[in-house]
Amino acid sequence: MESNIESLMHGFGIAITMQHILLMMIGVLLGILVGVLPGLGAPNGVSLLLPLTFGMQPVSAIILLSSMYWGALFGGSVTSILFNIPGEPSSVATTFDGYPMARDGRPSTALATAFGSAAFGALVGVVLITLVASWVAQFALRFGPPEYFAVYFLAFASFVGMGGTPPIKTLVALSIGFAIAAIGIDTVSGSVRLTFGVPELVKGVDFVVAVMGLFGIGELLLAVEEEMHAKAVSSKIDWREVLRTIAGLPRYGWTLLRSAAIGCWMGITPGGPTAASFMSYGIAKRFAKKGSRPFGTGVPEGIVAPEAADHSAGTSALLPMLSLGIPGSATAAVMMGGLMIWGLNPGPMLFVDQRDFVWGLIASMYVSNIVAVVLVLLTVPVFAALMRIPFFIIAPLIFIICTVGAYSVSNSYLDVVLMFGFGIIGYLFKKAAYPLAPLVLAIVIGDKAEDAFRQAMLMSKGSLGIFFSSPLVTCLILGGFAFLVVPQLMKLVRPRRARPGLEATEV
Amino acid sequence: MISQRLIEVTTAALTGLFGVAVVVSSIDNGIGWGEKGVDAGTFPLIVGSAIALGSLYNLVRGALVAHEVAVTWVALRRVAGLFLPAAVFIALIPALGMYASSFGYVLATVGWQRKLPPWKTLAIAVAAPLFLYVVFEKLFVVSLPHGALFEMMGF
Amino acid sequence: MNSMTKLMMLSGAALALTAAQPAMAEWKPTKPIEFIATAGPGGGTDIIARTVQGIITKYKFIDQPIVVVNKGGGSGAEGYTYGKAMAGDPHKVIFGTSNAWQQPMVSKVAFNYTDLTPVAAMAQDEFLIWVKQDSPWKTAGDYLKAAKSGNLKMGGAQSKDTDEVLTRMIEKIADVKITYIPFKSGGEAAVQLAGGHIDSHVNNPSESVGQWRGGTQHPICVFSSKRLTNTDKVTATEGWSDIPTCVEQGLNIPTYQQPRTVWLPGKVTPEQAAFYVDVMKKVEGTPEWADYIKRTSQTNTFLVGDEFQKFIKDDIAHVHQIAQEQGWLVK
Repeated sequence: MESNIESLMHGFGIAITMQHILLMMIGVLLGILVGVLPGLGAPNGVSLLLPLTFGMQPVSAIILLSSMYWGALFGGSVTSILFNIPGEPSSVATTFDGYPMARDGRPSTALATAFGSAAFGALVGVVLITLVASWVAQFALRFGPPEYFAVYFLAFASFVGMGGTPPIKTLVALSIGFAIAAIGIDTVSGSVRLTFGVPELVKGVDFVVAVMGLFGIGELLLAVEEEMHAKAVSSKIDWREVLRTIAGLPRYGWTLLRSAAIGCWMGITPGGPTAASFMSYGIAKRFAKKGSRPFGTGVPEGIVAPEAADHSAGTSALLPMLSLGIPGSATAAVMMGGLMIWGLNPGPMLFVDQRDFVWGLIASMYVSNIVAVVLVLLTVPVFAALMRIPFFIIAPLIFIICTVGAYSVSNSYLDVVLMFGFGIIGYLFKKAAYPLAPLVLAIVIGDKAEDAFRQAMLMSKGSLGIFFSSPLVTCLILGGFAFLVVPQLMKLVRPRRARPGLEATEV
Repeated sequence: MISQRLIEVTTAALTGLFGVAVVVSSIDNGIGWGEKGVDAGTFPLIVGSAIALGSLYNLVRGALVAHEVAVTWVALRRVAGLFLPAAVFIALIPALGMYASSFGYVLATVGWQRKLPPWKTLAIAVAAPLFLYVVFEKLFVVSLPHGALFEMMGF
Repeated sequence: MNSMTKLMMLSGAALALTAAQPAMAEWKPTKPIEFIATAGPGGGTDIIARTVQGIITKYKFIDQPIVVVNKGGGSGAEGYTYGKAMAGDPHKVIFGTSNAWQQPMVSKVAFNYTDLTPVAAMAQDEFLIWVKQDSPWKTAGDYLKAAKSGNLKMGGAQSKDTDEVLTRMIEKIADVKITYIPFKSGGEAAVQLAGGHIDSHVNNPSESVGQWRGGTQHPICVFSSKRLTNTDKVTATEGWSDIPTCVEQGLNIPTYQQPRTVWLPGKVTPEQAAFYVDVMKKVEGTPEWADYIKRTSQTNTFLVGDEFQKFIKDDIAHVHQIAQEQGWLVK
């Protein structure tokens, strides 16, 4: 560990130069832009900047790209909070409480809470990388198909087991998500599934298309119904509100720590940031004090939990990339392509062969996250001001942004039509009290869970015993069952009185 | 006015149809245990059946719901006021492209409200596609559809 | 640039080219060009597309901007289907592998390679058998002996694609049964091998070189008629040229390679196709390209025109036979 700290100091020497700080600022600002615009994600931004980096030192190049990644992670939360449109898949869970809080007339508080917890999560992720990089890399190797499946199962169990909606409606929503995830080419058999005679569906249904429809368009239709809607936002820019929110964050210390831990875990294991944010939200909801305001109505913990987890997962996802050559996220995958083009081979030896590069990058994560959080907090008033635009103007603009976003995911008009269809479904589901969150989670990790299950079955020649073949996988599976069963038992033991007035609208 | 019952029944019918489609289409992919382990259609068959059966249950439950009002006429008109122009906007994209259709869409929906002076409406209608052009086409080199009509004219 | 100087430049370029290519590159792109990588970010196809993009931009072979777009959905089918839909548009260049013709054989996809205009096969990627560093098998012979038990697990990228075809060829020639476990990518298979969850995989050199250097796995033989030419050491003692061929070790599969293919959408003019052939030829001549080939330990081949067509025909005949034996052919 001593030597890691030493290396880190060495890294700071490389990362902190005028040129690098400037690159960080450029990267972060571009990142915020792609993050805010749905459809243009961090992978887009990174892949567009990649050609510009060919002439740079690898360490400068990776600093530019990773700063863009941080910026995009922050920016993704902005539209989730203000308009219920997740700009990035991993910021879906932020909509659950962020959007209600913004509608309640507190967009600055919501944004500042999100950014503050996100920065905390990212820092925890970086500290983890600094201190236990090699151990973590070894641990990640223990995950084979059965363990992958168990991790996904755990994520589902922690999130889906929550009550609140009629169970059969939850089941239908979840299953629809699984079916959508199965559309396209199946990895294990190579055959084309569920394209319903539309050849273009072979590419599958992109998550962003589904989410923008279900959440963005669906919410727009609901909002217009109630005339208007957001409480007036005070027109003066209140910096004190931003600072007070940041200063108040330590109150949620336990939620922050727990969420960051969940994030790190999911970033290192194959879960990824999206599953991390869902799981963290689900667990925070369970740990919520009885009698406090329910989740889904704009409680700060509901923003803190997914944001801290999202960012710590996003950060620690870079570790498997560097040390094993497996990207933990789509953006990490693009960066890995960059590594190879710069002539570096990701893999166990990178830490030894390219000490300057690796530690320069790790040190830059500390610095660029600070740069990012400062820059993004400066943008809070600008974004909060968007809430003051009258609904009849902002509604068509949001609609256009969603349309363009859906189109630019893979330059496909079909995606635009699909997004519109998802919008109608989102509206109907909200009206009929179907939960959207399990559906979304199933779209994100449903096919991965299925692949892992079938790969495990191939390995074991059909025996379910493989899920109990090692202590690690057994613990994960049992943990998942515990999440499913314990709340039901609790209900039996201590029947909860119905609190009709307080029940949150289920997301 | 639209009743909660109608919403419940419609939603359940839609999900049910999707479930049946999934079941039917999964049969092509093979069910059960084959050469390559669990066959590709097995999992879709299970979730498809879950959707279909669950929807049936929801349909029956929904039909029994008391006749409460879910969407009033006024609200329905507002939803239609947002929904229909949006549908037209999307339908026009292949012919007119993203830029021209979004210009027309903003002009029509904002103008319809008559709450802004015409020059402001026009300014917003021009600014929206201009912003898209600069950010997508120029900055990030993502080409948005120009529309069949304009492509014929050589854009 | 007036047409006269253009003509002179082009005739100059034409002289430099082989006689096989008619010099009619009188067309040049008028819009930004999209490079479609039929693989996700970070995959071999993505890297070649980005490398070519980098070289073209650096030497200004094309004065229009180039963007790489990943369309790896459906094991690449997304990219090819997109290319098919873009018929007549010479500003889309599709980068793929042999799955342009292999995939339509075994999956119900909505394209065939005949919907596209072939430009070139720019490199051939090699295949090797890799095992875990501490595995008891030192040679292909040891490996096959162990495989007789029927319990060995082979990982690979995708299903019914090159990796599985090769696995089935090994099974047939050595008369063994191997459990093939498909993953999303070769990189994933390499990590699974490092963790000991599978026994072997048949990755390309670039997919596993990092793991080899890191001492988690090593190659036992290469499917090539002669040893690889890159003599650089990867580990302290071994390099690519030290790996015996599989034939040397008694596994009689003399060559098995994966071409990196470049296509245009269908219905483009011969001039347009010739333009890109010309550009790719220039790319191939740069030191950056040589460096890329060496770093990824691929074999530099540059097939265009009839040679490329013949290659496709031969490969189809070969894969068709295996697909038929395995019952993979789409009905």
